[in-house]
Amino acid sequence: MSSRGGKQKKGNVASEQEEEEQPLQAVLVADSFNRRFFPISKDQPRALLPLGNVAMIDYTLEFLTSTGVQETFVFCCWMSNKIKDHLLKSKWCRPTSPNVVHIITSDLYRSLGDVLRDVDAKTLVRNDFILVYGDVVSNIDVSQALQEHRHRRKVDKNISVMTMVFKESSPGHKSRCEEDDVIVAMDSKSKRVLHYQKTQGLKKLQFPMNIFQHGSDEFEVRHDLLDCHISICSPQVAELFTDNFDYQTRNDFVRGILVNEEILGNQIHLYVTQDGYGARVSNLQMYDSVSSDMVRRWVYPVTPEANFTDQRGQGCTHSRHNVYRGAGVSLGHGSQMEENVLIGRDTSIGANCHISNSVIGNNCTIGDNVVLDRGYIWNNVDISSNVEIHQSVVCDGAVVKEAVRLNKQCVLAYNVEIGPNLSLPEGTVVSMHHPEEEEEDDDDEFLSDDQEVGHSKDKTRQKAFNPAEVGPEGKGYIWKPSVDDTEDEELAQCLWGLVLNPDPESDSESEASEESQDRSRSVSPEIDDVNAFQLEVLGTLQRGLEENIVCDNLVLEINSLKYAYNITLKEVMQILTRVVLEYPFQLQGTQLTTLQYTGLLLPLLKKWSPVFKNYIKRAQDHLDCLSAVEELFLEQDTHQTAMVKVLMKMYQLEILEEAAILKWFSTGTTTDRSRQLRKNKGLQKFIQWLEEAEDESSEEGE
Amino acid sequence: MELQAVLMAAGGGSRMMDLTYNTPKPLLPVGNKPLIWYPLNLLERVGFEEVIVITTKEVQKMISTDPKMKLDVKMKLDVVCIQEDADMGTADALRHIQQKVKTDILVVSCDLITDAALHEVVDLFRAHNATLSMLMSKAHEFTETVPGQKGKKKTGEQRDFVGVDGTGKRLLFMANEADLDEGLVIRKSIMRKHPRMHIKTGLVDAHLYCLKKSVVDFLAVNKSISSIRGELVPYLVHKQFSKSTNSPKVNDETHQNLNKNDGNVNLEIQISSRDEELLRLTQERSCWNDHRGDMSEAYHGGRLRCYVHIMDEGICYRVNTIAAYIEANRLAPKLFDEPAVHPSAVISERCLIGADSIIGASCQISDKTSIKRSTIGASTTVREKVKVTNSIIMHGVTIEEGCNIQGSVICSNAVIGRGADIKYCLVGSALRIEPDAERTNEVIVGTDQLMEI
Repeated sequence: MSSRGGKQKKGNVASEQEEEEQPLQAVLVADSFNRRFFPISKDQPRALLPLGNVAMIDYTLEFLTSTGVQETFVFCCWMSNKIKDHLLKSKWCRPTSPNVVHIITSDLYRSLGDVLRDVDAKTLVRNDFILVYGDVVSNIDVSQALQEHRHRRKVDKNISVMTMVFKESSPGHKSRCEEDDVIVAMDSKSKRVLHYQKTQGLKKLQFPMNIFQHGSDEFEVRHDLLDCHISICSPQVAELFTDNFDYQTRNDFVRGILVNEEILGNQIHLYVTQDGYGARVSNLQMYDSVSSDMVRRWVYPVTPEANFTDQRGQGCTHSRHNVYRGAGVSLGHGSQMEENVLIGRDTSIGANCHISNSVIGNNCTIGDNVVLDRGYIWNNVDISSNVEIHQSVVCDGAVVKEAVRLNKQCVLAYNVEIGPNLSLPEGTVVSMHHPEEEEEDDDDEFLSDDQEVGHSKDKTRQKAFNPAEVGPEGKGYIWKPSVDDTEDEELAQCLWGLVLNPDPESDSESEASEESQDRSRSVSPEIDDVNAFQLEVLGTLQRGLEENIVCDNLVLEINSLKYAYNITLKEVMQILTRVVLEYPFQLQGTQLTTLQYTGLLLPLLKKWSPVFKNYIKRAQDHLDCLSAVEELFLEQDTHQTAMVKVLMKMYQLEILEEAAILKWFSTGTTTDRSRQLRKNKGLQKFIQWLEEAEDESSEEGE
Repeated sequence: MELQAVLMAAGGGSRMMDLTYNTPKPLLPVGNKPLIWYPLNLLERVGFEEVIVITTKEVQKMISTDPKMKLDVKMKLDVVCIQEDADMGTADALRHIQQKVKTDILVVSCDLITDAALHEVVDLFRAHNATLSMLMSKAHEFTETVPGQKGKKKTGEQRDFVGVDGTGKRLLFMANEADLDEGLVIRKSIMRKHPRMHIKTGLVDAHLYCLKKSVVDFLAVNKSISSIRGELVPYLVHKQFSKSTNSPKVNDETHQNLNKNDGNVNLEIQISSRDEELLRLTQERSCWNDHRGDMSEAYHGGRLRCYVHIMDEGICYRVNTIAAYIEANRLAPKLFDEPAVHPSAVISERCLIGADSIIGASCQISDKTSIKRSTIGASTTVREKVKVTNSIIMHGVTIEEGCNIQGSVICSNAVIGRGADIKYCLVGSALRIEPDAERTNEVIVGTDQLMEI
């Protein structure tokens, strides 16, 4: 560690002069380390999937080059040969390329963490570098962010280790990925990230208080940011990944830095662009929106007709309504390309077709009367007549036969054949790979999308295609989106990502209920105190019974509780009465018969009578106590007959005076129910008895 | 009449007991004018002709009898007295005058000294048909030394967290640090509506509120709320995003039920400002919107809206601590242009009076005195060779020869003995400082004034 520190210091001294001259480096991770594009990515790594007829990695490289990167390290794992071949053929590996691309392949990478640890081990980066994934499409000019980052590092002595690039886009924006929805708390002035959290599935966002203790008096909480997955990292980032071998993803890293920041002093900052475009194609939902943004020219100057990959024959013309046509496209009579359509070279389209918001690859054949809306047709696809395709992806070499209808969010993977005369329900995924063939190697937890599974090919039992699923002449297996043994994680891994419809009804309902809770809490905190006090009294009495504590001590304890909870004497008595009368229920549950109840209660009353006597002294106390008794028996109306016995006992134990009982009986019946209560025969008898006794005693007195 | 002004002047000044022991807070002299004059003047300047003043009997009596406390305002003052010992909060006071409230109200606290443009607050109220709009200001650092205060005050006080939207006007969140044990919690639905929230901590609430009449009616029914700042405002801010006030359907239903007055829910709904028919029509027909990013209707259909105007610059003080009191005295002369020396004061020619000092009516200033950056109250006598710097001398004080007073507050009718040297002290009213005393950084009050516990 110490040697590293020394090295770093030396590097800094040198870098101060060299900083400007040193080439800007980038680390491009051409692997997603997840299986979101399964089963498509079984045949082709994600970075090579075509978006607007160009492989996604080309967009990323174009973005890096245009932003001034001169040296890029491309890390590949899954199907690294394919990526390598692609890159070697591309313009990036020509001798004239301003951006030197190094391809580093290894089957051992399991995560972004592994890649960065390898970067550190090989000491590939000498200076601040840009970290991106191979599926990022962007036209953001990060030079300003880079400048800010360098400035911060100069001023703050390398405290800032990373600058994350975000794009401003309001919630609900089409290109926002619901899974990547983040909430960021930052310092308004320094743009330092204080809190970073994914919000998916959260209803409340919680910010720990310690993030507000940094001396600044203005903070910003932003939910209008789209994570572009572009980060400017200092060389320390790679070192930190090495030091913390448990960091797997960038999220781990960010969380780690924000939490441990106090110890290490490292900080993360953010850069927000308002007008650039940047998005990561992390699922098909994003694929759909990024593709359509591309066709609608939001990523200008990276547009379909620009042919930035500089490949022969890739060029196309751009006409109004954003219709692009490659070379050799033929269009049948009466066919309409409404708007936002991109058609690759040598594709022929039949008569009377309706095509809108779609991308069609090279060498496709499309029959007559075809309707395409938000369809993404890759290369060499054969679509017969009378086909309807809505918001679906059809991969290379697929054949869609006569009169097939693809409903929303269908995926036809490589070389699948469908139909004829079939309608695929929403969200159907068809692949030539059998789902079970993949499950066999599913044991590996860290299995990346991009794991070699070919070895099991020969083992695969040749299963028959189900004509009900893929049509009488179809070829392919249906992939069920959710397998029963996997939980919500699998849900998040379905191809199309989560659908953007938060249930507003339930959301606000819970708000309302939670609000009412809040309200009661804020307005009458004393209720809580009373409840707490009641529990404490119950506990005290219980202990009193178990440990046989003298009543005087119980009184002492209750008194101290009274002060602790700030309870008035009247409340003490009411609560005490209530607790005692409810005690049998506490012991035996609420299913007691009246007889059992009185049987349990009366000895208790006798035992605790000194406690009662201590609190019930004045005439008003007697009345309060009686009203508490009444209240309880109004609630427990099945046990109303027991009330007489209770009152009788309390009278006998001299807890209550007869005058008080009589007064209570005669006064203040406000509600029907308490009037009803007083009509109880036993009670009336008891009162009568009391009255008579009183008469007698008064007579005696005379 | 668009707005009725209500001035809250019944506060006891519990945070500066040493000063308010003899003089009620509204009548403390600031720049030789009673504190209450400043908010009254503020209201008068913007054209109010009538103001309801809620105060105590004591204050009312003093205003009407004591000539020194005369308020030279032309507005009609409708003074309402409340019992001092009733421990009424500001919301209780509003409830008390509910009968007088005929329209929307502007509530001002008597301890506010500001040169804020009031129309900014009212315009927010008008423009957004808001339920509440209020004034806040960046907190000021008090630079002057405070008598009797050792060292710098701890900054670890409980801060207020105020959340406003991207425009800095809409009030979204309000909480005190003390209530945030579990961290700051914001509902995601709020963030979805207002994706950018600024959370500010260094703000002072000026206690100036525009409130809809319906809020007063709500208070009249909902008796549990007793303070505007402490309970009502947070409640309103919170209610902005609750379902019951947002969905118009529920609202209509409950309007019918309103007369029955059954249950708590209806009472809560009463607050939501009911847009008039015409306004609603305009909102329907116009393409105006208060937010960007999604296509939902303006204000997301919310009826209850709270706004805040945050002053970036200018004077805004709440005179509720001694430090603020001293600071306010220093700044007060800038707020009005009256001759610094009252014409009735008798001032010897051979004395030095700084331009930033104020001399009150019928003062007597003798030879060879020097008065700098100070306020001298009415009927005060300053004898020869006295030096007063950076101090506040209230009414009727006598300062004997050769005294040196620096950075101190001398309350009414005190007598400072000959040759005393007083630095950074607070001298209670009607006290007598013995000659040649040397006092530094003390609070000198009568024994009867010591705090009862």
